[in-house]
Amino acid sequence: MFQDLYLQNSARVTRRQFFGRASAGIGTAALASLLGDDARAAVMPSHFNARAKRIVLLWQGGGPSHVDLFDRKPILTKHMGENIPDSVRGDTRLSTMSSGYKSFPCIPEIKPYARYGKCGMELSSMLPHTGSIADDICLVRSLHTEAVNHAPGVTFFLTGGQIPGRPSMGSWLTYGLGSESENLPSFVVMTSADEGRTCGQLFFDYYWGSGFLPSRYQGVRFRNTGEPVPYLSNPPGVSATARRTLLDDMAKMNQKHLEDYGDPETDTRISQYEMAFRMQTSVPDLTDFSNENPKIIERYGPSVHTKGSYANNCLIARRLLERGTRFVQLMHSGWDQHSNLYTQLENQCRDTDAPSAALVKDLKERGLLDDTLVIFAGEFGRTPFGQSRPGMPNKGRDHFGRAFSWWLAGAGVKKGSIYGATDDYGWNITENPVHVHDMQATILHLAGIDHTKLTYRYQGRQFRLTDVHGHVQRGIMA
Amino acid sequence: MENCREPWRTMKLVFVIFALFTANLFAEVDFNRDIRPILAENCFYCHGQDAAKRKADLRLDQPGDHTKGDLLKRIFSHDPDELMPPPDSNRKLSENERNLVKKWIAEGASYDVHWAFVPPVRPKPPEIKNSAWPKNPIDHFVLAKLEEKGLTPSPEADRPTLIKRLYADLVGLAPTPEEVIAFTKDTSPNAYETLVDKLLASPHYGERLALPWLDAARYADSNGFQQDGDTWQWMWRDWVVKSLNDDLPFDQFTIWQLAGDLLPNATVEQKIASGFNRNHLSNGEGGNIAEEQRFVVLFDRLDTTATTWLGLTMACAQCHDHKYDPITQRDYYQFLDAFNHVNESGVPSRQSAKNRVSAPFIELPTEENKKRIAEWDLKISDQQKVTQPILESEYQKWSKTVKADTPDLPEKARLLLVKSEQTEVEKKEFQSTLRKHFNEKIQPGLVDKIPELKKLENLKKELADYKGDHLPRPMVMDDAKKRDTHILDRGAYLSPLEKVSFGTPAFLQALKKEAPRNRLGLATWLVEPDHPLTARVQVNRMWQYFFGIGIVKTSEDFGVQSEYPVHMDLLNWLATEYVSSGWSAKAMHRLIVTSATYRQDSRMNNWHRNNDPANRFLSRGSRFRIPSMVLRDWALSSSGLLNRKIGGVPVYPYQPDNPWETLAQVTKERDFTYPASVGDDLYRRSIYTFWRRTVTPANMFDASSRQACRVSESRSNTPLHALTTLNDPTWVEAARVLAEVVMTKGADLGQNLSLAFQKVTGRFLSPEELELLKTTYQNQLSIYQNDLAAAKALISVGNRPVPTSLPVAEHAAMTAACLAIYNFDESLTRL
Repeated sequence: MFQDLYLQNSARVTRRQFFGRASAGIGTAALASLLGDDARAAVMPSHFNARAKRIVLLWQGGGPSHVDLFDRKPILTKHMGENIPDSVRGDTRLSTMSSGYKSFPCIPEIKPYARYGKCGMELSSMLPHTGSIADDICLVRSLHTEAVNHAPGVTFFLTGGQIPGRPSMGSWLTYGLGSESENLPSFVVMTSADEGRTCGQLFFDYYWGSGFLPSRYQGVRFRNTGEPVPYLSNPPGVSATARRTLLDDMAKMNQKHLEDYGDPETDTRISQYEMAFRMQTSVPDLTDFSNENPKIIERYGPSVHTKGSYANNCLIARRLLERGTRFVQLMHSGWDQHSNLYTQLENQCRDTDAPSAALVKDLKERGLLDDTLVIFAGEFGRTPFGQSRPGMPNKGRDHFGRAFSWWLAGAGVKKGSIYGATDDYGWNITENPVHVHDMQATILHLAGIDHTKLTYRYQGRQFRLTDVHGHVQRGIMA
Repeated sequence: MENCREPWRTMKLVFVIFALFTANLFAEVDFNRDIRPILAENCFYCHGQDAAKRKADLRLDQPGDHTKGDLLKRIFSHDPDELMPPPDSNRKLSENERNLVKKWIAEGASYDVHWAFVPPVRPKPPEIKNSAWPKNPIDHFVLAKLEEKGLTPSPEADRPTLIKRLYADLVGLAPTPEEVIAFTKDTSPNAYETLVDKLLASPHYGERLALPWLDAARYADSNGFQQDGDTWQWMWRDWVVKSLNDDLPFDQFTIWQLAGDLLPNATVEQKIASGFNRNHLSNGEGGNIAEEQRFVVLFDRLDTTATTWLGLTMACAQCHDHKYDPITQRDYYQFLDAFNHVNESGVPSRQSAKNRVSAPFIELPTEENKKRIAEWDLKISDQQKVTQPILESEYQKWSKTVKADTPDLPEKARLLLVKSEQTEVEKKEFQSTLRKHFNEKIQPGLVDKIPELKKLENLKKELADYKGDHLPRPMVMDDAKKRDTHILDRGAYLSPLEKVSFGTPAFLQALKKEAPRNRLGLATWLVEPDHPLTARVQVNRMWQYFFGIGIVKTSEDFGVQSEYPVHMDLLNWLATEYVSSGWSAKAMHRLIVTSATYRQDSRMNNWHRNNDPANRFLSRGSRFRIPSMVLRDWALSSSGLLNRKIGGVPVYPYQPDNPWETLAQVTKERDFTYPASVGDDLYRRSIYTFWRRTVTPANMFDASSRQACRVSESRSNTPLHALTTLNDPTWVEAARVLAEVVMTKGADLGQNLSLAFQKVTGRFLSPEELELLKTTYQNQLSIYQNDLAAAKALISVGNRPVPTSLPVAEHAAMTAACLAIYNFDESLTRL
């Protein structure tokens, strides 16, 4: 532990030089761990040319309905109300809300699909703005997961295991890539609450936790209410000048202590107090949109000025990425339409469609999209059959992990393309299945990291995000 | 070149350290020390125990004819197709390692059982040259190693440093300046030991020492997940504190926690203790498959138990035979059987809007509870007297209307009704069926129509709500549900394979014949005196606690992948000492903290920095940041704010506004407003802070999230920590109260600053430091003299009344100076 700290300290001093020399290289912390802790296993991971220097994950919690939004199945209309054949359903494990059903009636998409872009990508007409970036995205229609429920499903995608406790993807990436910003955290999380959200899902802090990685790699959550970061503001009565003066005076005492005890940890502490001071300015600056072009902000939709809205978070995400934050994770929820598909799904689309597309366009216009990966993702899809509740026949759809869709855009992603396919009912994957671990491997690959080589020794084992699985999906990449 | 120099220096340094710890130091090849780590790291993955992954039918984890095979040729090969480990495996042998393997093979390629799986043999403390240094046998082991390396120990730390160290480690509270001065002036030869004994006897000892145990036990005050219902597990937490204070021997401490419920005539305390394995997460999300969740809980129980007592990761064997350690999948499920008979569903059940616990639990009414419940019971029985005749007449009315075509009539009643003749028995049966139907199906429909019934119903509901909210129901273990345990294919609960019965892993000592084949048998097996792991794992964690790093660095893993400890003999000696002391933790703690090794000064010189930054050779005292939970206690105690009450229901000290906002946005069923404490409850020790499992208290940085077992501390150093201790009202209020305390002593500025510094750090300021602090104060004073409103705002932070007797600007400047003192690296650190 002390050795790690000592090395981290050496690493801190040299981070800039090191990145200057090898910007695609492994982060200094990971390097220190490889060299320090386990010198025996110190094989420098070979790296690919990193396509993504930054990643923004637009998490759509609850399970967006792939059959209504991304994967059109005419047969559901043709055979509306009829049972999905046993031969299609097989022995798929369903949640306890629908596993006891005797019938599985086809429910057509709730709104028509339309074709978008030069590539003619078929998307729901509820997603016109996503349609407007169709030529920039890769739509993946063949994701699958073993999880049947929200928390395990989200945990699986974000940490590689269904049970809480492992490091999240963002912490793996910041561990691997190091920080680019001297003034802002390298891994930031924001949660959103909008009108469209209905059956909201809770966001647990292990969705951005560092698990057994050192806790400095955990995501820093910017809160919706009050201060974005706890204890960011000076206490009442303490001005920036008073604080600056105090820190300068404190540094003198700490310097003396460093000379007396000679522990490099003291030196690190001095610099962390300095970064804390810089964060006190740089974080509030993130939410000050006064210098933004109003025309561009408008694209994010009417709720962009509402603190805590998804649109507001998308704009802050862009500002973070510009300033060097490595991994931005937006946690949005409300896609869990068990009984209100017809009344809520469209609202949900309205809250997220324009901001997501605006973020992609904005990044593109600033020349950042080429090395920023944007991921629009949920923990599973929804059943092609209708879910009923007493007195409410077929008003919704249940959780469905066997096949569902995401889209990706930016760094290294094949533009205007579709990857993977499902059968006529949107039930079984027929082409290029992408498991949770496969997607994780692909994301790491785009960030220039070999998923089998980004490891951390814990409890006698070299752990990695993809456990012992994962195949990079080259078909997603340009 | 400039750019490259620094990283290269880092690497060079690493290699120096590395060389120090490798076999270059040792003359003979020792399999466990020199060879197994190389094979385990580089070879076992494909040539180990797991038959499914084994390549070329070659095993390197057990003896074989390795002198003849082409092992040597392959590891020295220059042909990438032939080289072992293969270049694409991300594994590589160093030159040194290859030569060691060569030497080992030349010496006959002999194997030994992994050291940690063989019971420790008590070594004799080694001979040493400097016989004046050691204070107890620990020091013989440490000094012998230092002398072997040509090193000398650091001098003993000065008294103020020692008293601060002891207070931080043994009670987690700041010593008063009077205590420091008394200790500094105490010339008796036993001054140090007297202080140690006083602290070991303090009721705060249990509170401090409980913290790592709560991390291991993943203790929290709520279930986690969506409803995140609150629990009464704090009763288990209080039991832990009390047991540590009572020095309950560790074998009993173990048995009670793993199987207290199975002891003959188990006491309430023993049942509460068994709650150790009920501190798991509990998922009540809709749509959950209960049985799946039950297995999640089971696996967690086993992993937590294995990590805490055995220092082994058994989780790998959930899906397949362990790749490194000799734990088979069968071992795993035989072990799991011990936990598989709890009468539980896998999901928590609602007690009230706020509370959710899962059976089995016990009810422990307080006196207040008993009184309130008796009142309700009386009201209910009075009301029943009113409703009884009403119900009877309703029944009579209703039963006359019953016909064969009455909807929903039970089939049995219908058949009897249409029968032309009924026997006496049948008549009775008809009546009782009818009455049962009336009670269950008809009566509820009457409640809204008949006010007397409504009143009764309301009373019953009120009582149930009261109990759900206020009657403590700590979760405990039982063995009340017999289930078959199967090996699960790839760990999937829906894929049972062969049935197994309880057993302990075959590579460890056998279960005694007379031991019960259940959890109690498991617990007693763990604390058998010749168990190779339990005592070693515990003393190693003690060492980690007092020195910042274990003798075995990987305190969570003693398997074959673990580090071969430099101080193996010391570890074995401590382990045997622990058992022969009658498993007295206090005796061990006393032994460790009274050693000369522990008392060393923690200053680092160039040699330390360059050759042993992690202090593995123990040639100096250890120095590390105080855990955040203790830092908060330190601020409260040094400022005099601390409320020393021990135990009881959790409290809700300062948190940022709406700390539970994410829960509040989602779960409408209950109010997730933070019920902030008032008055003295704000100043309880951190151990009593309500621990919501989904939202770790914001100011407890680096604390375990309490979601899974954790046996070593995280000690990171980030700007967020700085923001916390500079801006959290906890520290700001402590600073302004500390300022008030020293200022009301009425001495001059220098004395005030010295006293404040002393209260926090334990030591006296040097004249030069005093000048620096005076400047700090003067700089702040000139700011606040020009802005009295700001000064007033600063000295009003927190709930404590603001004194009117002190000059505002001076008080604010002193507050700022005190806040600086709390944030000095020295104050945040246990030196």
